[in-house]
Amino acid sequence: MSRALQRREDVAGYLFMLPSLIFFVGFVIIPMFICIFTSLTASNMNDTTMFGQFVGLKNFAKLFEDKVFQKGLVNTFIIVIVSVPTVCAFSLWVGSAIYKLNNVALSAFRCIFYLPVVTGSVAVTVVWRWMYDNYTGILNTALKGAGLIEQNINWLGDPKTALGCIIVILFTTSVGQPIVLYVSALGNVDTTLIEAAEVDGATDMQVFWQVKWPQMMPTTLYILVITTINSFQCFALIQLLTQGGPNHSTDTVMYYIYYTAFKLTEQAGHFGYANAMGVVLAIFIGIMSAIQFRLAKEK
Amino acid sequence: MKMKKLIAAALAMSMTLALAACGGGGAASSKPSSGSQPAGSTPAASSQPAASNPAPSGASEITLWTYPIGNWKDENEVKKLTDAFTAETGVAVKVEYLDYTAGDDRVNTAITAKGTPDLIMEGPERLVANWGANGHMVDLKDMFDETDLAEINGVNEGVMKACTHTNGAVYEYPLVMTAHCMAINKNAFEEAGALQYVDLENHTWTTENFIKAVEALSGKFDGTVGAVFCAGQGGDQGTRALVNNLYGGTFTNAEHTQYLWNDPNNVKALEQLKGMKGIAFDPSLDGGKEITAFYQGILKMAFCWNIAQQLDPNSAGTGAEKTITGDDIVFMSFPSETGESQLCGGIWGFGIFDNGDQARIDASKQFIKFMCDSAHTVDAVKTANYFAVRTAAEGTDLSGIWADNPIMAEYTKLMPYLGDYYQVTTGWAAARTEWWNMLQEVGTGADVATVLAAHEAVANSAAG
Amino acid sequence: MLTANEAARKKAYKVISVIVLVILAFLFLFPLYWIITGAFKPSVDIYNPKPVWWPTEWVKTNFNDLFNKRTAPLWELAVPFSQFFTDSHKPLIWSTGPVLPAAFRWLINTVFMSVAAMLLTCVTAAMAGYALAKKRFRGRAIVFSLIVCAMALPKQVILIPLLKEMAGLHMYDTLWAVILPTVGWPFGVFLMKQFSESIPGEILEAARVDGSSEFRTFSTIVIPMVKPGIGALAIFTFINAWNDYFMQLVMLPSGSNSTISLGISTLQNDTTVNMGLLMAGAALAAVPIIIVFLIFQKYFTQGITMGAVKG
Repeated sequence: MSRALQRREDVAGYLFMLPSLIFFVGFVIIPMFICIFTSLTASNMNDTTMFGQFVGLKNFAKLFEDKVFQKGLVNTFIIVIVSVPTVCAFSLWVGSAIYKLNNVALSAFRCIFYLPVVTGSVAVTVVWRWMYDNYTGILNTALKGAGLIEQNINWLGDPKTALGCIIVILFTTSVGQPIVLYVSALGNVDTTLIEAAEVDGATDMQVFWQVKWPQMMPTTLYILVITTINSFQCFALIQLLTQGGPNHSTDTVMYYIYYTAFKLTEQAGHFGYANAMGVVLAIFIGIMSAIQFRLAKEK
Repeated sequence: MKMKKLIAAALAMSMTLALAACGGGGAASSKPSSGSQPAGSTPAASSQPAASNPAPSGASEITLWTYPIGNWKDENEVKKLTDAFTAETGVAVKVEYLDYTAGDDRVNTAITAKGTPDLIMEGPERLVANWGANGHMVDLKDMFDETDLAEINGVNEGVMKACTHTNGAVYEYPLVMTAHCMAINKNAFEEAGALQYVDLENHTWTTENFIKAVEALSGKFDGTVGAVFCAGQGGDQGTRALVNNLYGGTFTNAEHTQYLWNDPNNVKALEQLKGMKGIAFDPSLDGGKEITAFYQGILKMAFCWNIAQQLDPNSAGTGAEKTITGDDIVFMSFPSETGESQLCGGIWGFGIFDNGDQARIDASKQFIKFMCDSAHTVDAVKTANYFAVRTAAEGTDLSGIWADNPIMAEYTKLMPYLGDYYQVTTGWAAARTEWWNMLQEVGTGADVATVLAAHEAVANSAAG
Repeated sequence: MLTANEAARKKAYKVISVIVLVILAFLFLFPLYWIITGAFKPSVDIYNPKPVWWPTEWVKTNFNDLFNKRTAPLWELAVPFSQFFTDSHKPLIWSTGPVLPAAFRWLINTVFMSVAAMLLTCVTAAMAGYALAKKRFRGRAIVFSLIVCAMALPKQVILIPLLKEMAGLHMYDTLWAVILPTVGWPFGVFLMKQFSESIPGEILEAARVDGSSEFRTFSTIVIPMVKPGIGALAIFTFINAWNDYFMQLVMLPSGSNSTISLGISTLQNDTTVNMGLLMAGAALAAVPIIIVFLIFQKYFTQGITMGAVKG
């Protein structure tokens, strides 16, 4: 490319990028830099200045001793690692089960599975809280009625079940979009290939894995990305249902950041410390995104 | 094609509507939500302060954030009070209503964003021990003269102490107080034959009788009859009072400088509660949800209770002293070995955030004077559904304001048991968090003595 | 060829899967059903320890409670940017609506917020996505990697700086404090880049040869080709903004600036839990957005599909 042409591309490119960059830089990149900087200070809520005292990597050192933070980190990754594959697998199954149905049934199913996304976390938690209720919840009533359990299970109050309960709600609010995507991806699979495979005597399973699945790879990768993003957005569920308890079994890094920043007032307002957590989380997420996109490129 | 146009039109319309509705500048509001201020009135023209009030100030509007304190959470009730204030002073009051789950977070974010309200209504544990101690509040000492102090000390000497920081500054002007108690479902107790363990006349019982009563109840009813709730800090005074009173344990030292809940008596109490059939440590409930379960008749006793609940159980408006099923609710003191318990107090009043604007601080002081020390104090107190912290306000006697209400009159039997107001100990917000986290761990089988010690240590490190 | 046995197995699988699907569909529908019926139940049903599947009596009391509990002016129109010039740094309000139940104001706020976020996102993302896909400007790779990395970043990470920034811009406690960061979230740019990749370079080249200006090319050639993508992004942003909770919780303390999700959550967190009121609030928040979704769902599904498959 000639230099003049390159210049033209540069100018046009940045002009088109400009409006978006203003927002992106102003409300994501700059705050991120402030976050990194603040993480090296003892900044807190009661400071009158913008930044507190510079303390170097002390906040990060403290993080490695903070059991709650470590638990939060583990929980965050449990949520991602459990919910991403299950959402993908489930929506793939639903997609393949409904894509051949007639139009009305297909639309109906698609809408129904999308409803929890649309209804919104806050409204949905109102119902789930009641379903999980220890004393009057429908889950206990149903399981008791079926003779599966004898004692009520305190779903949100038991460290063994609480995180699972959160993941289930997250799951119902995540599968909508992947199902829509898989339905259309399956619909777009090249039928001549399928027919050819069938003539060759391939079983349904073989057709699926060897013909359809490779063709749906871009869709799957896209779904992986959006589901991962979605899994990090479970703040409302935790704030409204468990507040991180019991015994920090539902604490995530995202919630713990908020908690450290604004919940506890004396230890608190530890902005430097909260931002240090943010930086660690951002690094983890950056690595994860990089891996995902590396995979995407290879395919 | 037609559909497309239709959609486009609808979209365009909703957009213009929305844009028009909120204006480019966003919906940041600065007008009072009460449309009460007479049109065209300026502060100077309309303010005709009573002789006792300070000179009219330059501020035309102040903001008040209030936690749900009795009916101070009810906009219709609060509006009557603020309207009266506006009519007298010309200063409009914009009120925001906080809740106990996210309220603290919102005040803290407001402090961070330098967007605090002028006035805040809550108790000394937040206003004094927290925001006051961290330098966000205005010292109100100059608002108290000899008469005021005499009137307040005439009810309870502890109130002024609680509202005063160790540095001598007064960060809260108290309005009302109460003793927090517990409640029992009388019908359920009767059915289980447990009423014999309860002194209904004096509303007291002993630890021994409490244990027997729970035994009788859980013999009669399946599952949990009383829940040591620990989902969060909401209503935590109930669990503290329960544990401390059972065998006479302590929570802090008398000087309020150190947490002393790692006390053998508390260990004993927690072991006792943990071992009781019918009592569950429930990390899915906080005080509010416990009250709801009690109100539904599921739990047979509630550890989070006070007079406001007795007057309107679950704030559901279904009648005083009754559950939803019509069972009778009896308020009770917490059980203790002698039956004479130390109840946790609640004190509520106003504090002023230091926003650096003297005119608004003056107007806020005017507001406090109006609500807490004037002829209008009766209404302010009655709205809170609690007891006045003073004997009289500017010549109006406050001692008899609840005389016509038999429930309130009956409740005064508990007031002598009002214990030490230890919630102003330094590091309180951290300490109470440690408390409910400790309960969660006890509930899931951790060794009582160990976790009690561990969490007390963290609380004390916050106390400095 | 299929044996009879295999055919039967296939059929059985199909029947079973449909049954499972129907059961699942009921489970997914249940929250909505429970919210809507719950909104009309009297307190005896609401607080009944045994689930009451159908209201014994349809009542409006929950909605009355919801509407009587809080009031706010229906609108407050501010002079744009006036907060920079007033002493208190509060915007000048030049028109205030009648005082009505706050729930209506919450709805208006939510609609305004969602629509503003949607419009701004669509415009900026369409332009940026096109540039990233089709313009070979220097630094493109770096910008794109930043966008990819920032996409999954939870807002909590930058919460404190963002709050301070909004306070500095005097936008704390205005809807803009929620709108602007939503627009800054680069997912839209990523999505629009995927769409724009499919625009044939020859068409753009031809336009350039014809002397079409960059902007003209964008508005007459690019936009029509990525329209489904814009549609999908619009609905996606709208729903996300509508249901966002976190930024609202942090940025909007005033009842009159509250949104519907935030409004309901404050009802939920009162000292005691009034379930009926909560259900009424939840219904009020969910039903409008569901209606919007049902109307536009065809475009939505088309849009998201095309973007992804090409990705």
